[in-house]
Amino acid sequence: MVEPVNSSFGKMLLEEVSPVVMVLCTPLVEETFLKNGLSFVETLKPFCNFRNIDVPVRTSSDQLYRLKKFTLRLFYASDIRQPNVEVAKQRLEHVITQAGEKDFQDLKFDPPQITDILSNPESEIAPSWFQYYNKELIRTLSFSDHEAFDHPVACLLVVSSKDEEPINKFVDLFNSNRLPTDGTMDPNILKHYLLVHDNQDATTERTSKVLSEMRSQFGSNECNLLCTNSSKEGNVDHQANPWASFKSSVSADKLGCALTGDDIVEQIKDLMQEFASRHIIPYMEQKVRELNQQISATRKGFRNQIKNLWWRKGKGDGPDVTKGSISNEYASTFEDYDIDKAWKHYAGVQEMMGLAYFISDQSKKESEYCMERAFSTYMKLGKSGFQNALRCGLWWAEMLKARDQHKEAASVYFRICGEEPLHAAVMLEQASYCFVLTKPAMLHKYGFHLVLSGDHYKNCDQVNHAIRTYKSAISVYKSTTWSHIKDHIYFHIGQWYAIVGMHDVAVRNMLKVLDCGYQSKATQEIFLRDFFDIVKKTGMKHEVVGLKLPVINMSSLQVIYEDHRTYASQASALVEESIWQSLEDDIIPSLNSGKSNWLELQSKLLPKKYKESNVCVAGESVKVDLEFKNPLLISTSITSVSLICELTTNSDDLKLVDNEPSSSSLGPEISTEHNQVTTSGFSSFTLSEVDFTLGGGEKNLVRLTVTPSEEGILKIVGVRWELSGSIVGVHYFQSVPVKAKTARGRRKNKLTPTDALKFLVIKSLPRLEGSIDHLPEKLYAGDLRYLVLELRNKSESPIKNLKMKISHPRFLSPGNHEEELTTEFPDCLKKGDEQNIVQHETNRTSSVFAFPKDVSLQGDRSLRWPLWLRAAIPGTISLYYTIYYEMENVSSIMKYRTLRMHYTLQVLPSLQTSFEITPSPSRLQEFLVRMDIVNRANSGCFQIHQLSTVGCRWGISLLQPVDTILPSKSLLAGQALSCFFMIKDCRKSGTEDEEIMSLPPSQTDVKLFTQDDDEKLFDIVSSPLASFHDSERSCQGPSVQVSPNTVDFILISRLAKSSSPSVVPDLPKILTHHSCHNSIRSSSPLSWSLDGPQTIHHDFLTSLCEIKLKMVIRNTSEGLSSVTINTNDCLPDAAAPTSSSGNQSGWRYVPTVTEEMKLTSDVMGSRLGKPPSSMESSPPFIWSGLSSTKVQIQPLSTTEIPLQISVFSPGIYDLSSYKLNWELSEHESATSSGTCQGYPYYLTVLQSE
Amino acid sequence: MANTACFIIVGRNDIPIYEAEVGSAAKLTPILSIWQREDAAQLHQFILHAALDVVQDLAWTTSAMFLKSVDRFNDLVVSVYVTAGHTRLMLLHDSRNEDGIKSFFQEVHELYIKILLNPLYLPGSRITSSHFDTKVRALARKYL
Repeated sequence: MVEPVNSSFGKMLLEEVSPVVMVLCTPLVEETFLKNGLSFVETLKPFCNFRNIDVPVRTSSDQLYRLKKFTLRLFYASDIRQPNVEVAKQRLEHVITQAGEKDFQDLKFDPPQITDILSNPESEIAPSWFQYYNKELIRTLSFSDHEAFDHPVACLLVVSSKDEEPINKFVDLFNSNRLPTDGTMDPNILKHYLLVHDNQDATTERTSKVLSEMRSQFGSNECNLLCTNSSKEGNVDHQANPWASFKSSVSADKLGCALTGDDIVEQIKDLMQEFASRHIIPYMEQKVRELNQQISATRKGFRNQIKNLWWRKGKGDGPDVTKGSISNEYASTFEDYDIDKAWKHYAGVQEMMGLAYFISDQSKKESEYCMERAFSTYMKLGKSGFQNALRCGLWWAEMLKARDQHKEAASVYFRICGEEPLHAAVMLEQASYCFVLTKPAMLHKYGFHLVLSGDHYKNCDQVNHAIRTYKSAISVYKSTTWSHIKDHIYFHIGQWYAIVGMHDVAVRNMLKVLDCGYQSKATQEIFLRDFFDIVKKTGMKHEVVGLKLPVINMSSLQVIYEDHRTYASQASALVEESIWQSLEDDIIPSLNSGKSNWLELQSKLLPKKYKESNVCVAGESVKVDLEFKNPLLISTSITSVSLICELTTNSDDLKLVDNEPSSSSLGPEISTEHNQVTTSGFSSFTLSEVDFTLGGGEKNLVRLTVTPSEEGILKIVGVRWELSGSIVGVHYFQSVPVKAKTARGRRKNKLTPTDALKFLVIKSLPRLEGSIDHLPEKLYAGDLRYLVLELRNKSESPIKNLKMKISHPRFLSPGNHEEELTTEFPDCLKKGDEQNIVQHETNRTSSVFAFPKDVSLQGDRSLRWPLWLRAAIPGTISLYYTIYYEMENVSSIMKYRTLRMHYTLQVLPSLQTSFEITPSPSRLQEFLVRMDIVNRANSGCFQIHQLSTVGCRWGISLLQPVDTILPSKSLLAGQALSCFFMIKDCRKSGTEDEEIMSLPPSQTDVKLFTQDDDEKLFDIVSSPLASFHDSERSCQGPSVQVSPNTVDFILISRLAKSSSPSVVPDLPKILTHHSCHNSIRSSSPLSWSLDGPQTIHHDFLTSLCEIKLKMVIRNTSEGLSSVTINTNDCLPDAAAPTSSSGNQSGWRYVPTVTEEMKLTSDVMGSRLGKPPSSMESSPPFIWSGLSSTKVQIQPLSTTEIPLQISVFSPGIYDLSSYKLNWELSEHESATSSGTCQGYPYYLTVLQSE
Repeated sequence: MANTACFIIVGRNDIPIYEAEVGSAAKLTPILSIWQREDAAQLHQFILHAALDVVQDLAWTTSAMFLKSVDRFNDLVVSVYVTAGHTRLMLLHDSRNEDGIKSFFQEVHELYIKILLNPLYLPGSRITSSHFDTKVRALARKYL
């Protein structure tokens, strides 16, 4: 730490707080000295500092001491008065304004780094004009009445030898009213008389005469002669001009031009030295002693203010002298003031004491304490004391600073802020610099006080200063995440820059507050409004890289482009590549096939560069999806959103491509040029522009496109947009990973993000466009539609070799020829439209559909191809289909392209059918079919139209009239229905003659409706129905091992007209429901029936009754069967597990057999309960005749076996106690066998009358 | 209820991880008359931010977590509670209810620890839990 005396503050104190000499001089004296361009005081000023005066003094307590340094201040008497406060204020303001203007040029530079601030030397941290300002501030307080810093200790009376009656002049000078009039003057002030002799125009005789007169009049010690202007020519050139530093207004050369070296050294210097050492110092010493005695004598009631002031004066100006004694003496006096309530004086004393302690480097605490007390006392005085408090505070702060107590100094500065904003601003700024100087630096406080100070500056229109402080504050807050702070600073500094006309800097700062989503809506509005105001004032469109409004969601970036893969719609482009790839596997020529030899390989493979970038075709657009998000609560309009692209036409072939990556690291300036290129209209590509408005917090996914029109390398560099039509935002994509969906999987890994946005543009190619007209989005399961696929090739060059593959052949089936249908859709499927009934081709095993070879498209011709759609199963179904085509006579990298189409269907549930088939107990080859239909639709009624069996084998017939099945004619939602049919196996064995067949063999359809009797049935062998049935067959069941005894049904229904159309937009015409592989319930290869009488009258009194029966057995299988019939006489034990139908033998209740329902359930067996227990078990009957018979039955043939029973009493007999053991041998090796229990067959035997 | 202005949790690196304007807005002092009413939040942030310097000094001089009032700006006082992980809970207020503030800090500290225990919470990131927010506000009503 520097010694207090040598610190800057100490030096300042020594200079500023030094004895004042009042100068009274005649106008002629002034005239004499003005010859040198200097006033009298100015002439003497350089010689008032004495470095080694070496005067012995004694302190008040009689200590001997040698005074080494001494300073005098000279003032004209007219200047010794309190300066006007208003003038002073204006002067201060002027100082600040000037300083602000000087700094103006620096404002546009960026704020300094905080590390730079800290590494600066101490003196450079605060602007230099602060020192000057503080000095000026203190000067406004000079010559105040309650203290003696500036009160003259001596009076220097100067008269020129040219004056008339010089002696009288001396007297007049002192008595004139030019003396300070504040009443604090001591009339007995030390007076010194000086006679000035001008060597140029006065005579020495007169001078010496006057001098002797003076000496006699005022005493020889008090009189001096000063001879000046010895140089006659007046052109003396001083090497080191002593006045230069004091007066800068006049050119330094002229100063003192009439003063020779002798004048200076001998006359002026000696004069001042003598005056100080001989007169002033002894006088002061004596005064101090006097006062000291006075104090000790009249301790109480010491009211002589003037004396007191004088006394203090002594202490102040002779700091070194008063070293030891000061504190005691002050201590005693301030008590007096305390008591007398002379607060101002008390504070003054305290202040003085503090300074004295500081200068004498004594007790640090004491000095601070004194200053504190002085300060608070001044503050207590209110407004009148504020100026003093200010000075006291300044000194206090300086004192603390000199002791490196910067933090405390800062708080002192803070306390002296006061209410006047300009003053407060300066003080706060000084405080902030103190915080930097503390160790360690308190940067947070620094920033805060700078901001406060800046606000005050702004309040008194010192905008330059405000900007300067805020700029410094930015360096503190730059990296902070305290959002409100950041917004406040950038917003205000932006505004202020706009005030001083630096609009570009203003905009730059304002940009940082735009992303202020967390602020209140009002604040956001203010921010935006001011921002746009400023932008408007700049009058130009700024282009801002990285504008935060709106926010671009880079993870949403998606590039959609078409190389050989083209897409029919947006939806199809978003489908995962792997789905398409698996779909296209069969139809795309494999690359590997070309690698038969290396020569071919070379020619076929693309150049390496080509392979590394994505390929797109000239004239076809590359689409980029990007999401914009508005972070604010205010809606923002965004216009002219477009991509920034570069297209390098590769006229120099691939060499350009090699150079190209070097330019990929674009600086902002380069890309700016690119933008101009794109906007100026010269372009080898066209860009789309999108305008939209984002409401508060909204997101918007925007599709941007670029369409290259020439071959070359296309790069998508970034995106640009206009914000509210005034500012252009630019965003570059480079550093961001791009989700290029369409890039192939195996290449994806190698692609850098930049590569993903780089495209090789190749010559334009034909592109097939396709669509399906009127594809419904929602339909009912089973809905059958006729659709048209329209393909169109807009280019002139033809395409050929079209192939199509469909992901769900169950849903979609292409028609067979190009022509339109001649009749309306559902009718064309009906029987009788012979021209349209085409036997479906069974060779469509693969799902690839090849268009006929002669189909070739070009020149805007369209191809309309029929498609059948059938909603096979309920649910949401994604249909993919891809059309492969080859280009004719195009020698390009691409030989083929594919068109990918994707549709989503929502299939609602409709009718659900299930079938149960059981053999008829009474008829061989006939089966009962129970069909259960449930309407699963949420709403909507269906009418069933037709039930058909597939194939020629099965004939079908109704068991009941249609009206009884469904009287209401339509099936409501949720309604279930069961109905019964009879089917008949129409197969004929070659050998047998069927005589019992009642149905014509071709009757495979049953009409299930009654109205419109003329309406024809649908022909299920027509092409769409049959082909759909094929795919249903393969989907619904095992296609490999087809059990012979299965039946396929197709139920055709239609939507009842009453059902609401809202669910499905366009009403389905017909719905087909396919049910395949319905197997017959019985698993045995045999069917048989027992033929005989139902009721027999017999007279049991005469004899037992013998009844002849006939069993007809049919072998329904394809193999040879041997059957053994075992009759069983003994009544099976009820508990015997071997007999499943044991309970059914004997008596039982026979209902009136009218309902088929009952009959079927009987046939199905096991559901019967026990016979009523009250009934007695009947006496058994006896199988008479053969008990066991074995027969061989040829495939699909019948045989008859005669049987006989004997009955002994009347009753109802169940003739089921027999078994059929069969053994089937289809081949030599494979045999199967089984046992069939006999059917119940009831025979009623009655006693004949 | 006293005028309590602003509560902030400052994580390491002086990043605020939770902010809440609790209680009624503090009155603005004449020295800052230029600050608009709606700028109160900014002023609060400034004061609290500036107090970080003082906290930095004080935190290492005592073993107590509650540092009492460390800084003041005109009528507004900054009270600070420093956790072991050097997360600072800062409260800007103008009342002198030291016990209440201490309890408030301690309970918020517990809440904060619960947040830290959440494996999905990345220490030093912003606390977005609405549950935490309501709890803190409830505590502020209770103690301040």
